[in-house]
Amino acid sequence: MYDYAGCDCVSPQEQRLLESIEGKENMFRQTHPRVFKMLERFDGQKPRIDVERALYFTQSMKETEGQPLPLRWAKALMHIAQNITVYVQEDQLLLGRAGCDGRYGILYPELDGDFLDIAVRDLPTRSQSPATITEEDAKLVIEEVAPYWKGKTYHEALSKAFPPEVHKLTYDDPEGLISRFIVNETSSFRSSLQWVHDYEKILKRGFNGIRREAEEKLAALDPMSPVDNCEKKPFLEAIVIVCEAIVLWARRHAELAYQMAEKEKDPIRRAELQRMAEIAEHVPGEPARNFYEAVQSQWFTQMFSRLEQKTGTTISNGRMDQYFYPYYISDMNEGRITEEQAMELLECMWVGMAEFIDMYISPTGGAFNEGYAHWEAVTVGGQTPEGYDATNELTHLILKSKREFPLHYPDLAARIHSRSPESYLWDVAETIKDGSGFPKIINDEEIVPLYVSKGATFEEALDYAVSGCTEARMPNRDTYTSGGAYINFAAAVEMVLRNGRMKKYGDQVLGVETGDPCSFASWEDFWEAYKAQHILFMKTAFIQQYIIIQLRARHFAQPLGSAMHDLCMKHCVDLHQPRIPEGIDLGYFEYMGLGTVVDSLAAIKKLVFEEKRLTMRQVLDAIDANFEGHENVQALLRSAPCYGNNDPYADAIGRDIDRISVEFGKAYSKELGIHNDVRYVPFTSHVPFGKVVSATPNGRTEWFSLSDGSSASHGADVNGPTAVLLSNYNTKNMGMRERAARMLNIKFTPKCVEGDQGTEKLVSFMRTLCDLKLWHVQFNVIRKETLIAAQKDPAKYRNLIVRIAGYSAYFVDLSPDLQNDLIARTEHDNM
Amino acid sequence: MSSFEDRKVQGMIFNIQKYSVHDGPGIRTIVFTKGCPLRCSWCSNPESQEYGPELACNKGRCLGFDKCSYCLDVCPKGAIGADAENLVHVNRSLCGDCPHLCAEACPAQSLIVYGKMRSVEDVLSVVEQDAVFYTRSGGGLTLSGGEPLLQHDFAMALLREAKKRRVRTAIETCGMIPWETLHGASRLVNDMLFDLKHMNSGDHERHTGMGNARILDNFKRLAGLQNTPPILVRTPVIPDFNDNEEAIRAIAEFLRPFKEGVSYELLPYHRLGTQKYHFLDRIPSMGEVQLDKKRFSSLQDTAQSILGDRLVRTD
Repeated sequence: MYDYAGCDCVSPQEQRLLESIEGKENMFRQTHPRVFKMLERFDGQKPRIDVERALYFTQSMKETEGQPLPLRWAKALMHIAQNITVYVQEDQLLLGRAGCDGRYGILYPELDGDFLDIAVRDLPTRSQSPATITEEDAKLVIEEVAPYWKGKTYHEALSKAFPPEVHKLTYDDPEGLISRFIVNETSSFRSSLQWVHDYEKILKRGFNGIRREAEEKLAALDPMSPVDNCEKKPFLEAIVIVCEAIVLWARRHAELAYQMAEKEKDPIRRAELQRMAEIAEHVPGEPARNFYEAVQSQWFTQMFSRLEQKTGTTISNGRMDQYFYPYYISDMNEGRITEEQAMELLECMWVGMAEFIDMYISPTGGAFNEGYAHWEAVTVGGQTPEGYDATNELTHLILKSKREFPLHYPDLAARIHSRSPESYLWDVAETIKDGSGFPKIINDEEIVPLYVSKGATFEEALDYAVSGCTEARMPNRDTYTSGGAYINFAAAVEMVLRNGRMKKYGDQVLGVETGDPCSFASWEDFWEAYKAQHILFMKTAFIQQYIIIQLRARHFAQPLGSAMHDLCMKHCVDLHQPRIPEGIDLGYFEYMGLGTVVDSLAAIKKLVFEEKRLTMRQVLDAIDANFEGHENVQALLRSAPCYGNNDPYADAIGRDIDRISVEFGKAYSKELGIHNDVRYVPFTSHVPFGKVVSATPNGRTEWFSLSDGSSASHGADVNGPTAVLLSNYNTKNMGMRERAARMLNIKFTPKCVEGDQGTEKLVSFMRTLCDLKLWHVQFNVIRKETLIAAQKDPAKYRNLIVRIAGYSAYFVDLSPDLQNDLIARTEHDNM
Repeated sequence: MSSFEDRKVQGMIFNIQKYSVHDGPGIRTIVFTKGCPLRCSWCSNPESQEYGPELACNKGRCLGFDKCSYCLDVCPKGAIGADAENLVHVNRSLCGDCPHLCAEACPAQSLIVYGKMRSVEDVLSVVEQDAVFYTRSGGGLTLSGGEPLLQHDFAMALLREAKKRRVRTAIETCGMIPWETLHGASRLVNDMLFDLKHMNSGDHERHTGMGNARILDNFKRLAGLQNTPPILVRTPVIPDFNDNEEAIRAIAEFLRPFKEGVSYELLPYHRLGTQKYHFLDRIPSMGEVQLDKKRFSSLQDTAQSILGDRLVRTD
């Protein structure tokens, strides 16, 4: 029979790239003139470091030593609000940014102040996510910022607090600056885990409303109570200060816009500036009265939040199609706004997001988040708190903007559920087919019941917002903010093979000395040895987390975030405190390298112990030689059953491994006072984690990246995308609740999803994912040839956007390692 | 036959392919059987033509005899040797009827066997792994080949058992089979994919080895029946064979009267099967020719002008 295979087929993104290489104008430029003009101003610019935030924050912290931390933080924010430069940008319709014009990043010396002086010198030349800084600014950092923080940062305290046996699996140096990439803590390169605010509250009540609530509570405190005096009073004072600070900051913008309006000669722009000024006088202090005010109020809030702290993965945007909808629809009904104007406002926001670069200063942070990673997760779709479908006109407008706006902002997440309307899923599928990796799909059918089982009400669970990469938050019920451990379980396999040691770290015993693997009589012996290493890593991670939870509250406060949280306000507790009454603490640790580990164990089990086609000695010799001269052994190892093929042999091992993790979590989470659940989401860290692991029994050569998230090893999934989904399903322990997100990457060729037929099949594919209750999936619709061409000729392809790990980035911004990792992912076609 | 007996019937299968989205409605699994009455010069699955198992040799995956000699050690006929680059070479005149121990031993999948006897039970257990995808997409099993109805007993048993298990089925046929067989299969399937390659019997014979009289006759009888499942007629558009106005117009005109449930699709020629000829030590007869994209598009216009929206466009 004749196979179906067509002419060359490219995604719309690839088509636009090819056209731009030919010198043609982007087809959406005509309909989005304002945003294209703004974007062209910083196109291709390397981000610049703006030091004002760091400077004013440090100045204030010097003055407030000894006071309660939330109060110090609020005062520092007030000092920033009073002094930081405010900007009104050409053509922009929104006000509020955290630094200079163009692409910029800001510094958080409370995280890394002690080595900022060294870091600012290296920033311009480092390979991952470089940035520029002026000599003057570098001097300010070195002389006025860095010295104050020496000895005061959280990561220094953490490194000192870890017992030696935990320290050696965590860090590679005594100071705790270089990761071992074995049991990696992530709480020290960001102030918190991903987070999402209850923006709706600000739109409805304004910060003045929250300030009044705090003032009333202050007045009602028991004047005799020591707790009220020492805990609640400073907390509430901090809330009052921070509410005043953000309103002051907005008003400074209003003043500047008025001044510029007066000078402006163009009457159209003058009117725009006038209106911007009026809006900034009103929000975010007061409730929003229309769509424009709502967008501006939200934007001020998230930008001030970025000044407050470095939220892991950038502060998320919540359910934008829900909280903006009432303003949008009433403006539309009253004829106050058009679809195009609404879209332009949203896209002015996307431009602002694109200019802000979430800088990672520490080497570990940089390796985790390559290519200027960002997850400001805008959530669309899903269900209402009552359980009805939530999609509306704004949902579709945001999806349309995603197809037409030329940059990879914002990070967009589409919630789906079993009754998601066909029109919505088609729109989502068409957006995915555009090829830039958006939106990522998040599944209500997994998350809602799981969150209910973890203690949420149905209403809260149904109203979750996607937060960061793949996580889901209930903004008034979730209270956990400590970053969790990333655990390299491929290293556990290596430690079994090397009796507790790793090639990279020489003779040092890091794991359990489980004995010479050649002495193992059966697969059970090998499995027990793996389990011993696995449990050692879990134990280490849980000890880490225990210390982290105790320490963090002494180093971080978040009055702005707390002001927006029902429980923090009710109990007068800062969001960074470890115990918040009624809160649900959803923490997680990372299983790194699922595919690598499963395939390695399956190969050993089958070829060494069952079929006896190889001896353990042969495997060890081949691995020691990185398979050089042992290519036949490598090929044989690769031919064993692999995860990602719906192969019961491999999947059963995957489920057993998952079982160790969830059972440990179940046993010891209670002591931590949190849910510390297993998650499979590596960001880009499967690349650096791979760099410490020598060759593995799945035929992977040394230092190559590990498999990512819950995806298969590179090229191992030969049975097509349905098998990838089923393997995911098969390796979950559905009877237990100790699980968090699983990230799944699938790469399709454009041909595979071509035309209406292709869209229809992509929709069915997503519906089945929904039936299978898989947490997440994201797609790259791109030809391998395009990636290879971009690697060879980056200048031509600098606008090529690819999906990486819950976010999209410019392909050319990625390190060669990560580029190769992407190219090596199996491409699903249907020949 | 009873279901118990149907499940044991065996067929010669060379591939079961998941997530097929271009051969029938929804997300499908294609079961490819071996053996075909035609020898189309452009055939993209040369391994499907002969009925028996065939040893294929993919030198690109061979590790080389300096690194691996598993195959050499197990061949009972001395048919395996090294070529000039020290990669595996199969002496076809010595290689014969044997269980292909070499392919079993090869760790690199350089030596593989196309074709394996598999039972209906075994095949359906693989097909049903993706049942959850069929439910949502309206997909199912597509039986293809070769010509799947050449293995008549197996095909009928498989289709019967699939129907019993509520797996939706489609069959892809070249039409060159006894009418009774085709008719019997058509009563069991939900969809049919029927290849029509050329209306001129002489041209047809020159490029496929057989004239088209029986094919056209079968088609007319099938499409004329009441209760026939929907038929998607497909024409692979092949350079220097039927990539011209006249040939496509003739097929479209032939189809025009069969309105109920007959749609039409043109498939562009591609060269993805070329490598497999080399694996089998055969020479692909099409050479380097390629299909002109614009011409393909204009041929679709032609067919559309005759058949309207019954033409399923692929661009």
